Amino acid sequence: MSLSPRRMAQPDFRRSSGFSSLRPSLHRVLAYILFMMVISHMGGRVVKVGIYMNPPKVYWEEGGEPSGIFVDILDHIAAAEGWQVEYHKDTWENCLSLLQDGSVDLMPDVAYNSERDKVMDFHQNPVLYSWTQIYVKRGIALNSLLDLEGLRLAVLRNSVQAKLLQGLFSTPADSSRMVFASSFDEVLALVRDGEADAAATNFYFGRMNARKYGLEETDILLEPSTLFFAAKQGYFGDILNAIDNHLNQLKSIPDSYYYQVLNKYVFSSNKYSLPRWSILLALSLIFALLISILIGNIFRKQVRKRTAELHKANLEMEKRIEQRTEELAMAMHKAQVADMLKSAFLATMSHELRTPLNSVIGFTGILLKEMPGKINEEQSKMLSIIQGSARHLLSLINDVLDISKIEAGQLDLHYSNVNLYSLLENAIQLVGVQAAAKGLNLVFKPGSEPGDITVDERRFEQVILNLLSNAIKFCDEGEVSLSYTVKDKQLYLMVKDTGIGIPPEKQSKLFQPFVQVDMGINRKYEGTGLGLFISRRIMNLMGGDITLESEVNKGSLFTVILPLKNGGIQCK
Amino acid sequence: MQVTVLIIEDNRDNYYLMQYLLENKGYKVLGADSGWLGLEMAIHNTPSIILLDIQLPEMDGYTVLRRLRSNPFLSGIPIVVVSSYAMTGNKEQALSAGATGYIEKPIDPLRFADQIESYLKA
Repeated sequence: MSLSPRRMAQPDFRRSSGFSSLRPSLHRVLAYILFMMVISHMGGRVVKVGIYMNPPKVYWEEGGEPSGIFVDILDHIAAAEGWQVEYHKDTWENCLSLLQDGSVDLMPDVAYNSERDKVMDFHQNPVLYSWTQIYVKRGIALNSLLDLEGLRLAVLRNSVQAKLLQGLFSTPADSSRMVFASSFDEVLALVRDGEADAAATNFYFGRMNARKYGLEETDILLEPSTLFFAAKQGYFGDILNAIDNHLNQLKSIPDSYYYQVLNKYVFSSNKYSLPRWSILLALSLIFALLISILIGNIFRKQVRKRTAELHKANLEMEKRIEQRTEELAMAMHKAQVADMLKSAFLATMSHELRTPLNSVIGFTGILLKEMPGKINEEQSKMLSIIQGSARHLLSLINDVLDISKIEAGQLDLHYSNVNLYSLLENAIQLVGVQAAAKGLNLVFKPGSEPGDITVDERRFEQVILNLLSNAIKFCDEGEVSLSYTVKDKQLYLMVKDTGIGIPPEKQSKLFQPFVQVDMGINRKYEGTGLGLFISRRIMNLMGGDITLESEVNKGSLFTVILPLKNGGIQCK
Repeated sequence: MQVTVLIIEDNRDNYYLMQYLLENKGYKVLGADSGWLGLEMAIHNTPSIILLDIQLPEMDGYTVLRRLRSNPFLSGIPIVVVSSYAMTGNKEQALSAGATGYIEKPIDPLRFADQIESYLKA
């Protein structure tokens, strides 16, 4: 039970006690009723409080309930005392005058000084201790009061700070250095906006708000002060007493509501200086940072491990590549050596086979010619067989040699101007004996333009002889003809026979090496099957081709196509 | 004046073949079975024509050819290479070294003497 209501109730109680001797029980009932009435009357006591913006001590959220250290403590006391507190929101200056003219009963957060003591009442036990602190823009060093010399100072008009600093800088010239504001927020804003150099506010406001305006606390502390609730002089002694009693009690208990309020507003400054989202952001950033450091570490370890592995693999790779390169170089060298050996071998073989064949063919020729003396028919027949076999052996050697040259890309051509007519006539003469032996009609049908062509004479002759002897070989009756024509700057040379012909499905195979149409063990026609392959390659090398038209049992037509270097046959 | 043919050939059978064919034609045939001997005989006998093999002991046909050609007393003599070498370039190499002609073995026994005669006329 608080003191003030009891005091208020006492006169009534005394009055009612006058009837108590007569009707004690009734008196008691009445007294109780009256007491309750007084209580309810007192509970309805309205305390008008003028408040102004001075967070965290006194303030209100925009459009919201008043709060702050003084407000919370007053609400706590009022709840206990049964007061109804009406808050009147205004400026510090207005609140002061409202208190003077009695519009408000009480003002929170008033610093005691002797001057104020003359015009208003204070309770005894201060709610807070405070002092004036100087704030400047970040990066400006102010170490002592003397450093304020020549600076413009922002202060709240009619505040303790204003009075204090005016006292310190009392000469008239110095007064121009004071910049007055109507709220502490404005005081800080003035410095932020460059209209003043330093701000003087109370410690509580500065601690909570300076950072918001980009300002820093200096080491300059001035005039410690005690803060009280102040009341209009002479009317509210009971209220002030009640406040004192509560403060005494609250301050003596370590974990009391008073300290909770202080903790809430002053020491957990995070609530005011940092918005909730920024804390969340900071926390998530820290979390992300930690995670990234963790992941970074894990990755770094893995990367290091991988790098080491890669390095090792790389070394192995290099070693292997080196080894392989060496092997390849070796293989290449071997291949080149083998190629050289092959070429040398072929050249040697060709040479070594030709030398004895030279004797065989030469002497059989001499004997058959009967140069040394007459031979009989039997001897002539046998010598002819030797000669034929030797010639066949020679053609085999020549074919194998040509194939190896073609495969090695060594079949070089040596061009010269050759008379087409002479060349063809010579070829016809060379195969004439062969044709006559089979009873075939060999026909040469020269074109209208006998003249010179540019070819490798020996190779071109080889192609024509190959085609002619093939035609004779595969033709048993009828005729073999050789003709030519010039069309579109190309020479078309036709070798036609009335032989066995070639079935269509086997025509394409004909130009492949080692192919004869009849490849059975008892094949009728001898030969390596290399001739057409070689001939076609020779013509390809000269920029031409060999084509085939054939019908079984009717004959074949091989056409040699040769592009003419000078666009036509040069007539002599 | 009788035609004198110097045959530089190390294979006796091949030498005999050519010797037979050319003597049959009425030519006088001299033989040398090495490059050195061939050079000496060419210098001492001044033949009408020289038939030269390429593969020879001690000194190959190309060297013999170059030395014969570098001697002013012999440089006018026609030299025909008669060789078993049939690889690409053999003929060209012989001609560029100074040969008058190139006959690939095996020779045609029916035409050989006439071929030699044509080189003599040229």
